[in-house]
Amino acid sequence: MHPITAIPQSVDAFLRAEPPTIHDWVMRRQLLLTACCVAVVVVGAGSYGAVMGSWREPMQALYTGLKLPMVILLTTLGNGWLNGMLAPLLGLNLTFRQSLAAVLVSFAVTSIVLGALSPVAWFIVWNTPPLTAGTTVTSPEYGFLQLTLAVFVALAGLIGNLRLYPLLRQWTSRPAAARNVLLAWLAGNLFLGSQICWVLRPFIWDVHPVQFIGPEGFHGNFFETVFNALWRLL
Amino acid sequence: MNEFNEFKPVPPPIPPVPPMPPCPPQAPLPPPPSLGSRPLGEDPAERVPITHPVAAIDAILRHPRRVMFQLRQPRAERLILIMLLVSVGCSVVYGVVAGTFSGGPQLWIAPAKISMGLMISAFICLPSLYIFTCLSGSQARLVEVCGLLSGLLLLMTILLIGFAPVAWIFSQSTDAIAWMGILHLVFWFIATAFGVRFLDAGFSHSQVRSRAGFNTWIIIFLLVAVQMTTALRPILGKADTFLPQDKKFFLAHWGDCLAAGDHGGRVR
Repeated sequence: MHPITAIPQSVDAFLRAEPPTIHDWVMRRQLLLTACCVAVVVVGAGSYGAVMGSWREPMQALYTGLKLPMVILLTTLGNGWLNGMLAPLLGLNLTFRQSLAAVLVSFAVTSIVLGALSPVAWFIVWNTPPLTAGTTVTSPEYGFLQLTLAVFVALAGLIGNLRLYPLLRQWTSRPAAARNVLLAWLAGNLFLGSQICWVLRPFIWDVHPVQFIGPEGFHGNFFETVFNALWRLL
Repeated sequence: MNEFNEFKPVPPPIPPVPPMPPCPPQAPLPPPPSLGSRPLGEDPAERVPITHPVAAIDAILRHPRRVMFQLRQPRAERLILIMLLVSVGCSVVYGVVAGTFSGGPQLWIAPAKISMGLMISAFICLPSLYIFTCLSGSQARLVEVCGLLSGLLLLMTILLIGFAPVAWIFSQSTDAIAWMGILHLVFWFIATAFGVRFLDAGFSHSQVRSRAGFNTWIIIFLLVAVQMTTALRPILGKADTFLPQDKKFFLAHWGDCLAAGDHGGRVR
């Protein structure tokens, strides 16, 4: 039996919290936990987004700083109903609020990691040759930046999801059920998150003037483009 | 002297050990009790009647055994009606989302076709489900079979609602009808898989001897539902008439859609 614990007062307390403690927060203090997680996402992912956009110009930094947390929060909300239904169907008796809170905790951890990587990302951006009139989408510096920043996001996402698994294990005695729910949530969030990113692009740079959502935002979709690219290669 | 003190116990002679009889072949141990093998209604929570749509949605997601038990009770028709109405409502909502791909009149045509197609498919397949389950030895009454099929529809459509935000964002950002068709089919297959799982669990409590009939029915249901999307086309695209003028098999229709997608066009 774990004692009821207060919501953490600091980021390190949040990261150090054991799965039973986080489970306790999710079960008992959903509103406060949600508010904390949203704040962490806004600050953590926002700072990383600002660094991403800073390669281009301050306005892009501002926009990407707003868009990256938006991607996370919209993905959480967009898949909230689906995730809440998949959990009991796959053997985890979570309520909608609990599943939403659990996903949000995972994204909060991801955002904290992103926030922590922001100085490193900024250093990389600072060392990257600046944007010039001759920069194109095939320029090596742009490709390098895209790849590096995407690797950081992938790393942060991986850590967030690894943190989610022991939390899900708190709700069931069957590891397979926790694993299935985690994989289903991960697949759904990746699927929707990729498309939201696609709609809200650019995050770093594109050939058009700086806009919050580029003119190509609602044209095409991420998977169609990847599929077409693969098709052309083959 | 106490007579007990005078008692000097003498150990009885050890009888010779008889030869051990040969071990009879061991019967296999009974399997551990699983969720599916417990009789329905064993848990008092399963006996709580389902009286309104929200309870039906909650029960089908979290306590499917409660739905199965309630379907065996007298006056299960009310629960069936609730589940069917919620299914229609959910399919209409999902249809509106599907209709946003083309907009305009498809905003009402798509929900009408999706909800109608789903109900007609279920109605067409109900007799074969009942016959196949009877042939499999199931003791389920027709009303229970109707109820389990309604449960399949309910679970399927509320899962589709879960996919609706994803479908909407793709609808707004892509022009490729083939891509959207594949996406909706994938969502429908996932939702159907969960629905079929519920149906299977329901029949597992009705003393079925064989699953062959049920498996056959699943293939029939899938084929009917998929063909229904072709019979009621276009659901995503636009057309001048509500229903198609020519008849087509779904594979031919899909082939046409993919071919049109390669040329950047839209199949009506």
